[in-house]
Amino acid sequence: MDTTQLLKGVLDLTVLSVVDDEDGYGYDVLRRLRAGGLTEVGDASVYGTLRRLYAAGALTSYVVPSEEGPHRKYYGITPAGRDQLRQQTKEWRSFSETVTSILDRPGGASR
Amino acid sequence: MTEHTQTLVPPAVETFVEEVRARLDDLTTEQRDELLDGLAADLTEQLADGAEGVLDDPAAYATELRAAAGLPEHGRRGLPRPQLPTPQRVEATLDRARAAWLRRVGDTMPWELVEAVRPAWWVARAWIAVTLLDQVTGSWEPVSLLPSFGVPLLGAAILAVAVVGSVLIGMDRLWPGAGPERSLVARLSLIALNVAAVLAPLSFGISGPGYLSGTPYDEYTGYNQGYDDASRGLSAGLRNDGEPVRNVFAYDASGQPLRGIQLFDQEGRPMALQPNQAVQGRGDARRVGCAWLNGASPQYNVFPLAERLQVRGTCAPTDDTGRMGPVAIPVPPLAQVPPVNRPEGIPRPAEVTQVPPR
Repeated sequence: MDTTQLLKGVLDLTVLSVVDDEDGYGYDVLRRLRAGGLTEVGDASVYGTLRRLYAAGALTSYVVPSEEGPHRKYYGITPAGRDQLRQQTKEWRSFSETVTSILDRPGGASR
Repeated sequence: MTEHTQTLVPPAVETFVEEVRARLDDLTTEQRDELLDGLAADLTEQLADGAEGVLDDPAAYATELRAAAGLPEHGRRGLPRPQLPTPQRVEATLDRARAAWLRRVGDTMPWELVEAVRPAWWVARAWIAVTLLDQVTGSWEPVSLLPSFGVPLLGAAILAVAVVGSVLIGMDRLWPGAGPERSLVARLSLIALNVAAVLAPLSFGISGPGYLSGTPYDEYTGYNQGYDDASRGLSAGLRNDGEPVRNVFAYDASGQPLRGIQLFDQEGRPMALQPNQAVQGRGDARRVGCAWLNGASPQYNVFPLAERLQVRGTCAPTDDTGRMGPVAIPVPPLAQVPPVNRPEGIPRPAEVTQVPPR
């Protein structure tokens, strides 16, 4: 199945979670998401999501000059971002449990 | 370090970022910079990591970036389109304005007084309406307390009907009525009528005091006098294509500038500037024209007028002069002009016979 649509719904959540672990710049966040298993996530989607979360106040950003290339834009989570992460994590858990329970019901596809 | 870092962006990345930027041209500079800041670094590192196809399609990249950033698709403005106000919104605005107005009036004076003044306004607007009608119909006549309409008693009758009508409107017995619980059309109509009633007296304003002084026609004559004075004031001095002339420069037939030319018109009247007309520039660059003298009397028809820097006032000695510079004949705008030949049939200067003075 095409996971692009599924990804869209959880991109905010996963990006927030990754940045909550440790501040990161765009490609760094992308790499960590892919390393976590979201191999199909697009780079522009991640970069755009970072900018949107920043504009919404869930992330802060700062620029770090780099010795070996152009300056990097780092993102860190804000208290508001942490609230959003907590809330969305809860929603995701309940949602995925619901979906799982539907799929796991007697006669469901996964049996 | 900046220089060093700039050189390390691969040209392909730089080109790609610029192409993406071009597809964000409908966004504000701030939005665009926010989207693209740091992108070169990310892409450079991605390439260094061996990623492939990253720089293939700037258009798709820009679209994905915008979508993820929650920005509208290209060409669609982020701003909401202007909408025509809906009746509900206009009514809400009216309600708010009414509430604010009542609050302000209530703060200023006691309500009993406001209530007492309302009928006076109803009568006043009736009178204004009838007077306006009187003014626009028939020949001009001075505004009077009882509009005449040129026929005995007619004015009084119309005024009485108008007062009754206006009071009935004020008491909400007659369309458009009063108060907030009516249709939008009625409310807007009443507002329009009341505004017209407030503004209309301005149109019969100039001769207005006539009915108070009891000598309306004197008032009218005075008005004409003032009008004439004003017109003269406007046209005093010299004009060129409607623009006030600030100085005049004369040249002789060979094209050389002349000094001390005295100008008179066909009636022998001096063609003089007004002293306050001979002013150019502002502030420290302000120059005033200084007249040539006949004895002690300044002659503003002798050109070119001398000039001096002067912050305020005119060159006339009675004026409060403020800071000023030395007087000098200004440099002509044209050093010289093409020479001209006299019209055919006009004798050479040596042959000119003296025309006897008028």
